[in-house]
Amino acid sequence: MTGVTTPQGPVERVPVLEVENISVAYAAARGAVRAVNNVSFTLHKGEALALIGESGSGKTTLALALIRMLVRAAKVTEGRVRYVKNGAAQDVLGLSEREIRRFRWSECAMVFQGAQNAFNPVLRLSEQFSDTARAHGKGDRAWVKRRTLELFKLVRLDPERVYNAYPHELSGGMKQRALLALGVLLDPQVVILDEPTTALDILTQRAIIDVLAEMQDRLGFSIIFISHDLALAAEMADRVATMYAGEIIETGTVDDIFYEPLHPYTLGLLRSVPRLSGSQDLISIPGSPPDLISPPPGCKFHPRCPFASERCRSEAPPLEDFGAGHLAACWHTDRVVEARQGLWSDGAVVTRG
Amino acid sequence: MQTSKTLTGPPPLESGWLSRVVSSYAVRTLLQALLTIWAVVTFTFFLIRLMPGNPIDVYVGFLMNQSNLTYGEALQQAASQFSFDPNASVFQQYLGYLGDLVRGDLGTSITSTGTQVVDQIARFLPWTLFCVGLGLLISFVLGMTIGMLIAYYRNSVLDTAVSFFASVLGAVPDYIWGLLILVVFGVQLGWFNIGELRGTYDPGLTPGFTPAFIWSVVRHAFLPVLVYVIGTLGSWILNMRSSTTSVLGEDYVNVARARGLTPGRIATTYVGRNAALPLFTLLAVNIGLVIGGSVIIEELFVYKGIGSFLFFSISQRDYTSMQGVFLVIAVSVVVANILADLLYSSLDPRVRIEGER
Repeated sequence: MTGVTTPQGPVERVPVLEVENISVAYAAARGAVRAVNNVSFTLHKGEALALIGESGSGKTTLALALIRMLVRAAKVTEGRVRYVKNGAAQDVLGLSEREIRRFRWSECAMVFQGAQNAFNPVLRLSEQFSDTARAHGKGDRAWVKRRTLELFKLVRLDPERVYNAYPHELSGGMKQRALLALGVLLDPQVVILDEPTTALDILTQRAIIDVLAEMQDRLGFSIIFISHDLALAAEMADRVATMYAGEIIETGTVDDIFYEPLHPYTLGLLRSVPRLSGSQDLISIPGSPPDLISPPPGCKFHPRCPFASERCRSEAPPLEDFGAGHLAACWHTDRVVEARQGLWSDGAVVTRG
Repeated sequence: MQTSKTLTGPPPLESGWLSRVVSSYAVRTLLQALLTIWAVVTFTFFLIRLMPGNPIDVYVGFLMNQSNLTYGEALQQAASQFSFDPNASVFQQYLGYLGDLVRGDLGTSITSTGTQVVDQIARFLPWTLFCVGLGLLISFVLGMTIGMLIAYYRNSVLDTAVSFFASVLGAVPDYIWGLLILVVFGVQLGWFNIGELRGTYDPGLTPGFTPAFIWSVVRHAFLPVLVYVIGTLGSWILNMRSSTTSVLGEDYVNVARARGLTPGRIATTYVGRNAALPLFTLLAVNIGLVIGGSVIIEELFVYKGIGSFLFFSISQRDYTSMQGVFLVIAVSVVVANILADLLYSSLDPRVRIEGER
């Protein structure tokens, strides 16, 4: 069956999406809002990359730039996005309007936050699946129906009932699952999930995450997972990138980021997660994200950083490799290493599932 | 658990079928419609009798002017010609009228003795329905298209210009437009020979599906239809603009773009269809308004439809004819509302009538 492959075992390091030095700016009355700044990362086949960070850190803008869905006021000011399929690379930012339309969903699907309104209220789900397929030249009705029912089963929906249903006849969790099914209808290599579980209750969240893990296992797509829910990110992702003020300031494996963070901001995020045992005090990060029109000089995090020195105030630290792909942009990683002692000493519950 | 059983058990049989019938959509709608029509009929019945004068007074005045009769002679002649007894109590008249109405009898005209009101209505109504229907259809389609277009290009020069133009259209009543068109294009520029355009078609033509007759009908209907279009277009444009603007911000439109759907498919099925929904409710309201408004427009263009007939009947105090026309207007509003409901529910599954799928 198309695309239902099972890449079990270690992830092969085949790149599917290479993002190089991409920057995005919004035109505002006061000047350019540099929402994404010089971001680079590579997404490999079958890999799940989590982008974490506060609201306004540029996660969603970055994702929208990848499928060229930015609002009119926003422009990609520099950088390159390469999409690789079967060894052939495409320059996503150079595609024509028609090509980018074809690219969306069939190569890279984006599941937005708030699935409650993601479906056209006046069309049956079956119609919304078939018009998606038709828009990408896959008009074979029998194939679309078979594939749709199969995917409904995969996301644990009652295929026959949901197929003929209107969106308002489904619950929130059902809509989210239907949207996930729609997301992989055309067997994309990359699925971007923007806060896929916000606005759902905790049990439904659980169910969605399970379904997602199973789907990825069966279909082998790569995931870019945008979240501010660290526990979820820890569970879903293979690799994590922390974003702050439009920049990736630390990236590494889940274990790197959650057990051996090297950037004070990542450490701050981890400390602000409540623990079940409640033995450790929650420490929030003081201050608020910087103004992206005129960001502070040097390291953008320095006004909120407990370890900031004179150097941080004048010189921006580069993203440096601290071994085995664990990158961080900080002058004082040694102090972070010191400070992170005892981070999970209370036998924390945020562990990999 | 005795109590819970009685609580959840089926309701007694005899009230069961009755409540089912009453709650069925068709029956409920029909009852509502009848109630509405009865209320309008009753209201207008008494209202028109509150107008100063009655058919005989009007005719007496006419006779006295025309043939130099004395008041007594004129009164005698008028009373002998009209099937109207001014001495019967209003309530008696009302009961008699209702009784006739239930039997489907709208009565005979008071002033045009011997003419059935039904025949008068059958003669004049089709022309009004034709003009109003065509005018509304054109302005609805045109307004939705333009409104959607400027919503897509909102805040552009085009949008600003069209929105301004639409506000002006909507702010001026349709009879002012009618007068303007008559004076400017008919009298001053002489583009239309308005004398020739009186009536619904050229005199001397036999009604039928002949090119000459159809062309004549089109020419005579052109100006009234134009006025109906102009009078309603502005509100369609502005309503569709705001409706489309809000739909364009909906998640499902954004997701549709991310799904790589073609811009055409998104514009019609995702934006257009959802944005048009609230306008169908307005359509029903408008049909009633425009039929009511046809009184002045038809009088202005001397178009022999139900509106100009009503105007004539009012001037004659022809109670039965007036009642007939008001009944027709009430019925057409009620029917238009039911049709709009049905249309709406077939377009929007969320309000689909229960029992239907």
